[in-house]
Amino acid sequence: MKPKSYRRLRFIRATLIYAVLISVALFMLFPFIYMLTTSLKEPKDTFVYPPRLLPRQDVAASIEGQPDPLPLYEVQVDGQTRQYALVESNIRVGIYADPSKPAQTYERRLTDVSPTGGAENQQTVMVEGQAKKLWNVEVDGQIIPMTEVRQTAVGRFVDPQNPQAEVYRNVRLSQPVQNLTAHPENYQEVVELQNMDRSLTNTMLVTFLVVVGQLTTSILGGYAFARLKFPGRNALFVIYLGTIMIPFVVLITPLYQLMVAIGWVDRVASLIIPWMFTAYGTFLMRQAFITIPKEIEEAALIDGASRWQILLRIFVPATVPSLATLATFTFLYAWNSFFWPLVIINTGNEANHVLTLSLNVLRGRASDTPNLILAGAAISIIPPVLLYILAQRFFVESATSSGVKG
Amino acid sequence: MTATAAALPHLSEDRHTTLWLNVAVLWHAGFALLLAASGIFLLVSLADSTIPIATGLRVFLIALSLLGGVSSACAAIFITRRDQRGRMLSLVINYLGFVVCLAFDLHILGVYVGLDVLAGTFKYGLPFLLLGFIGYLIGAWGDRHEDFPQRQQAYRRLSQTISLIAAGLWLLSVGLLEGLRALLQQFNSPLPFILTAGIAVFAVLLRAVGRRSVAEALHTKRQHEETLTGLLFLSPNLLGFLLFFAAPLLFSLLISFTNSDAFNPPDWVGLQNYQHLLNVTIQPLSSSTQLANEVLDVKIYNELARFEILGQSYVIGAQDKLFWLALRNTLVYCLMAVPVSVIPALLLATLLNSKLPGMKLFRAVYFLPSVAAIVGIALIWQWLYNSAIGYINYFISLTVNFANSLFNAGWVDPKLQWLSDSNSALIAIALMAVWATLGFNIVLFLSGLQSIPRDLYEAATVDGANPTQQFFAVTVPMLAPTTFFVLTTTTIQAMQLFEQVFILSNPLGGPNNSTLSLVVYLYQNGFQRFRQGYASATAWVLFIVIFGLTLFQYRRQRSSSGAYEG
Repeated sequence: MKPKSYRRLRFIRATLIYAVLISVALFMLFPFIYMLTTSLKEPKDTFVYPPRLLPRQDVAASIEGQPDPLPLYEVQVDGQTRQYALVESNIRVGIYADPSKPAQTYERRLTDVSPTGGAENQQTVMVEGQAKKLWNVEVDGQIIPMTEVRQTAVGRFVDPQNPQAEVYRNVRLSQPVQNLTAHPENYQEVVELQNMDRSLTNTMLVTFLVVVGQLTTSILGGYAFARLKFPGRNALFVIYLGTIMIPFVVLITPLYQLMVAIGWVDRVASLIIPWMFTAYGTFLMRQAFITIPKEIEEAALIDGASRWQILLRIFVPATVPSLATLATFTFLYAWNSFFWPLVIINTGNEANHVLTLSLNVLRGRASDTPNLILAGAAISIIPPVLLYILAQRFFVESATSSGVKG
Repeated sequence: MTATAAALPHLSEDRHTTLWLNVAVLWHAGFALLLAASGIFLLVSLADSTIPIATGLRVFLIALSLLGGVSSACAAIFITRRDQRGRMLSLVINYLGFVVCLAFDLHILGVYVGLDVLAGTFKYGLPFLLLGFIGYLIGAWGDRHEDFPQRQQAYRRLSQTISLIAAGLWLLSVGLLEGLRALLQQFNSPLPFILTAGIAVFAVLLRAVGRRSVAEALHTKRQHEETLTGLLFLSPNLLGFLLFFAAPLLFSLLISFTNSDAFNPPDWVGLQNYQHLLNVTIQPLSSSTQLANEVLDVKIYNELARFEILGQSYVIGAQDKLFWLALRNTLVYCLMAVPVSVIPALLLATLLNSKLPGMKLFRAVYFLPSVAAIVGIALIWQWLYNSAIGYINYFISLTVNFANSLFNAGWVDPKLQWLSDSNSALIAIALMAVWATLGFNIVLFLSGLQSIPRDLYEAATVDGANPTQQFFAVTVPMLAPTTFFVLTTTTIQAMQLFEQVFILSNPLGGPNNSTLSLVVYLYQNGFQRFRQGYASATAWVLFIVIFGLTLFQYRRQRSSSGAYEG
């Protein structure tokens, strides 16, 4: 008995764990799914309430004798739901009733009725103490004077197969026929609207050079700190370590003034060159190099290898995981940075915008088309996500080994 | 001893070496004179305010040229005495001269600014970058054939060829030739010629003094060589670090004592910025409804808050009310965002640590938001928060309707205005930040959990501890260092709240200053009103607050883990 109940308990426990984990996973994924599906919607579709996740569009049908395809609606015809095309909308109609039988109402176009007794001296009838105008309404070939209950607007719907069959229904109360769709041209549009292609290649260039530069300086510096003895090395390393926790905002004004002084304001160089040297990367590579046995290096030195050869042939290949970790960390930092580009690159100088800056401008420029804004957001988010899917391990390691967050 | 050494060349010194050493001595003597002359010229020009260089920079340049002059003179003397220190000094001076000339030459020739042009042509080079990557992949693929050295060699050669071709085509496609032509056109004034000549001279001297025979002539030992190699390897990193990190850091402190606006020469104002930021006063009120301007000096103070102790009302006035509001908002944001993104992260990490299949997938999904740019994330959430068509209000209405239909609860759909309501805007931003940082913290906690030895749990189970007791008696104390790390990084991050507010708030820091954070306030001061001195002072106050919080957490972690050990 006991093992069985134990197994059942384990099953319940596993189910509960999965339930919690799956709901959190949905919470994590939902904004991304929302971004992707909304970026494929047409503008009209983004403002529908209640919101719908998947992009939909109205279905249109070609009608004989009509130049353009017309939207289909679901209308009730003889108790059945049928798909009819809207041929004409906003037709003014009146609802009429015989004063003696007010429950029975008739819907007629305003142009199809005429004042009882002529327009000059229209007859009236007293209903509940009020004088009401009478109108001649034709019912089954008979003309009956009736009062107008109210006016409304309807649309004329026809059967696409049989354009002679037509009905009048309120357009707003009719459900349009919609099918799933996708508008990938939103991406094209946002690229043209906001020069997103240029900011994408700018971001690629900046990220590429920052990653290459930072790896280079970190490898060299890390090797010097790990393996080469020189006076002041340890003191210098402590200084490097101490600066890791200094927040960037402390540096932002002096760095800006430095950029003003050397003429790099509004220049791509300001996004690249100052970011090629970091204490954090040096620290990470030093920690990686210090684990390599000294004997290997000494043997190579005796064999006549130079320091450069040792670094490139032994140390770098042995620390590829650390290098990849540093590269992903730097990649994320460079790709996603916003504050510094915002400060240093002029809003008007769109040729030098990186993706985050373009998104910031797009936010104002396309504020009434969420589909375009989210297409822009997707352009900036998809490349790191793709890279993350390919090299997940290094991203996770860059998180666990970081002293600073990206 | 030195006199004879100088007179008699060392035995191992051939004529060639002696010649180079004499050239080096002459060069360093001349260079020392040059630097001394320019130092004196700058010193004289200190009095002359018509030369458009800032005083601070001029003092710095004078110090630099005097230091360089003295070092160069020393180098000349040491080399004459055949002392290895002469070689070291000479190499350092020539190396620095080489780097400075090169950097300055590239600046004059417009290479850095030319990166803008590269940004424009970069897209033409993308296919060739891809080709280079394919070349690398071929090489990596070939390395797997370790048993067939010939095949491996062939792959390697193919890989190198492809990579070389790709690099060449890439350079051509992004406009190497146009770039070179533009570079040559910059040689229209004497300065680039002088600098290029300087580069050449420094390079020649570096090569000469670096020669092995010179090293032997100067009795250089292996440790000296190692020092030089160490400095050489560290130099790109160190020079960049000094120029773009250490110097700005010190400069930031200097700016905070000035009224700098980034463009005009600043005035020294001492502690005035800090005083203005931090100046507060507390005044008693005769009644809790008394107007603040009756007791506060309205020329200086604005009412910040009022409180009551023992029936006596007080009003707090602040000179810079917005700073205190921003500080309060930032701290409130931390109090909201940090616990909610740390405690659930710990719980979820313990769930992920269970030995069930599929946990890696969940970890991967949870980490996803940490990969995306905050700006992009904020744009998504802006629409999720939309009060009319957003999903968050929709889910709330669904929940309310569900509860009403099920329990007849009679709840009213709140229809929150989220970002446009000053009561909820900061909460909305904190919620989004929780979503964005939760996965990162989960991953950190998970790696901490995985490093706890399993036998501790086994021992606890033997002692009869249930899972809850185990969690508090083993997991929590063993995880203390990770918790400290997660708490500090999350707090440091939260204290620098900026991008979320920048994208989500309208107007910036609004509505009604409810999302004005310290960094947003710093940005407004420094880069909208260009009161950069004031912004720097704000940054240092923020740094001190962050430092204090970190120290506080560190102390708590120390004391709590100490209690555990005891």
